[in-house]
Amino acid sequence: MIMLNYIASFFLIGLGLYAIVTKYNLVKTVIGLSIADYGVNLLLISIGFNPGGTAPIFTWSELDYNSFFVDPVPQALTLTSIVIGACVTAMSLALVIKLEEQYGTIDTRKIRRLRG
Amino acid sequence: MNFLGNVLSYQHFPIYAIMVLFLGSFLIAVFGENRIARNILALLSITASLGFILKLVGPVLMDGEIIAYWMGAREPAGGYAIGIALEVDALSLFFALLVSIAVFVSGVYSIQYMNRDDNEKEYYTLYLLLCGGVMGMVLSGDLFNMFIMVEILTFAAVALTAFRNTVRGAVEAAFKYLVVGCMGSTCILVGTAILYAQTHTLNFAQLSQLVPGDVNTATKVAFALLFVGFGTKAFIVPFHPLAADAHGAAPASISVIISGVLTKSGIYGIIRITYFLFQSMGLGTMQFLLVFIGSLSMFICVTMALAQHDFKRLLAFHSISQIGYVLTAVGLCTALGVSAGLYHAINHTLFKGLLFLAAGAVLHETGTTDLNKLGGLAKKMPYTTVLFLVGAFSISGVPPFNGFASKWMVYQATYQKAVESGNIGFLLVTIIALVTSVLTLASFVKVSHSVFFGQLPEGLEHVKEVSFGMRFAMAIFAVLCVVTGLFPNLVTSYLTEPAARAVFNVAHYIEAMGFDGSAVTEPVAVSFSHVGTWDPVSWLLVLCIALLSVTIVAVGSKYDNVSRSKAAATESKYELFYGGEAQELSQLGGDDLFWGFKHNWRGYFNYMHRLHSGIVNDYALWAVVDLALVMLFSLIVL
Repeated sequence: MIMLNYIASFFLIGLGLYAIVTKYNLVKTVIGLSIADYGVNLLLISIGFNPGGTAPIFTWSELDYNSFFVDPVPQALTLTSIVIGACVTAMSLALVIKLEEQYGTIDTRKIRRLRG
Repeated sequence: MNFLGNVLSYQHFPIYAIMVLFLGSFLIAVFGENRIARNILALLSITASLGFILKLVGPVLMDGEIIAYWMGAREPAGGYAIGIALEVDALSLFFALLVSIAVFVSGVYSIQYMNRDDNEKEYYTLYLLLCGGVMGMVLSGDLFNMFIMVEILTFAAVALTAFRNTVRGAVEAAFKYLVVGCMGSTCILVGTAILYAQTHTLNFAQLSQLVPGDVNTATKVAFALLFVGFGTKAFIVPFHPLAADAHGAAPASISVIISGVLTKSGIYGIIRITYFLFQSMGLGTMQFLLVFIGSLSMFICVTMALAQHDFKRLLAFHSISQIGYVLTAVGLCTALGVSAGLYHAINHTLFKGLLFLAAGAVLHETGTTDLNKLGGLAKKMPYTTVLFLVGAFSISGVPPFNGFASKWMVYQATYQKAVESGNIGFLLVTIIALVTSVLTLASFVKVSHSVFFGQLPEGLEHVKEVSFGMRFAMAIFAVLCVVTGLFPNLVTSYLTEPAARAVFNVAHYIEAMGFDGSAVTEPVAVSFSHVGTWDPVSWLLVLCIALLSVTIVAVGSKYDNVSRSKAAATESKYELFYGGEAQELSQLGGDDLFWGFKHNWRGYFNYMHRLHSGIVNDYALWAVVDLALVMLFSLIVL
């Protein structure tokens, strides 16, 4: 079951990279970045998963050696990563709007004033 | 009183140095409407940060102490790090010192330089965010925190690249940087996740303890991901086009930070993962990887720079070329090599900062950085010209300026490595480094000729010298350039050697955090022979005599302009060489000076021009291919 998660996460990362490399539409590039980011989030959350574990919410007195819970660290990492992913999307879409205003197109093949 | 003494203990200074920058950023976002309040807040926070770092120089760089700081005093429990840590050894502090000096000077410069832009409040907010991000990254002792700081600095750098969004190509550059930069950050995060899955820790010291003993396919993949991720931050080949785009559009004060500081943070990350996390630098193949990429960056970027006709874009390519020197020297894995690389890193921050500030001064007064539209500014901006020349001499490696001292050490280190290992390939690296230095000089002859000497074009008669604040900032860098060039022994013994010793003392780094570092084997014995075997004062005398004799000849002889210009007029094909001396408006443009060289190499130059197509998909493809190659490489050799 968890193996499927890993396969899916690397598939998503690969799909995102594929979209960034092959798509000439700027919005699709942004979507590619987001998909890769979702893949990373899935990977992180799968790493911390323990089958049968409870939520990692304990007070100090409740905690003993029989407690069995999922690893809380990757969950914290995932939350951070989701926030960063949202920032990437927001900022890149803002830049796409500006690019469309200035160049009149969102085709990457036409947005190449800086080259050589 | 006891509480106060505790709070002011230098153990806390690393976190203060980071926090004052972020706090300043926040306060400016809230209270920054007033111009005076904003400037005072910005200057206060960068000065405080510089002060905290300078206070740490004594204990960390001089006495060799390692500051292990657990946030919220959450010490490791049960042999596992559970808290977030800052770990400051000599290497971290070395880079932090570079960061804080560059940030201070560029902050002082910004006050005057940005006074014609609107949205200054947002500028300073993002500026301090960028500086705080870099500072946090070099002082962090935690891999995930490093990733967070990398993201913060990437965002701030992208936003600042697009800050002057009316400048040609600024938004375009920012978008490309964002796409490839975020691919790099994603690589770092995936690498971090894989390492966490293998070792269940994020602490750098503990990872350095656990990872080398347990190298499997997953950690090899993680190495490739982390290497490429930090490579995007250092803009080494194949990520150099992004640097060129970003520098051309960003304000000059930001270029100083991106080139002088942000690329260094990438180099810092690469040193940490190769020397500390994976301890793989003992392998000849790993040295080959770093030296190969470094030499490639050196050569490709310097030839790309020769073909440019935009002042700042040209400087950006040179910047990556110099980063190539740093990476090559660090990749040699000898005490002399690491010391040389770090020395060049300081010098690169100083002279490249100076050059970018000079380019910014030209832009501030003339409104353009196109080499074909500039000329003759030496008469109008004498101080800027002199300061620029100091930077140009330094980067080209003219003795006695600092570029010569560190490049000399790089040549020595590569040659010594070739002799010691018996590998003829390292001699080739020495030759590439020398050729690159020559081409750098050629390129700066072109820049100084087409910007500061020659004919003043029409429309630039009104140009004035820049204000005192900007000159002061440039003068700080210039003085530091001369000082680090004249006293190489002091720089090596007080700055680079402690840092290089820290690089080769991984066990100490692990044990300072309370983990077991007994399994670490150092790749080489640390000895600093060959360091500083040249005498800068004699070179200074030689330079003075040469300058004096040139001046005497130029002033004393009857220099016949008239007959020369007649010869030029009759033989129209030689106009190019006589132009600018007597004839009106025959200024040698930035494109012209090396036309013969470029013509002979046109196959190479045209190929490179086509390759750097400016399409973001291509750059993304390079990143993916680079990742695939490094991954293949690490799977085979690690």
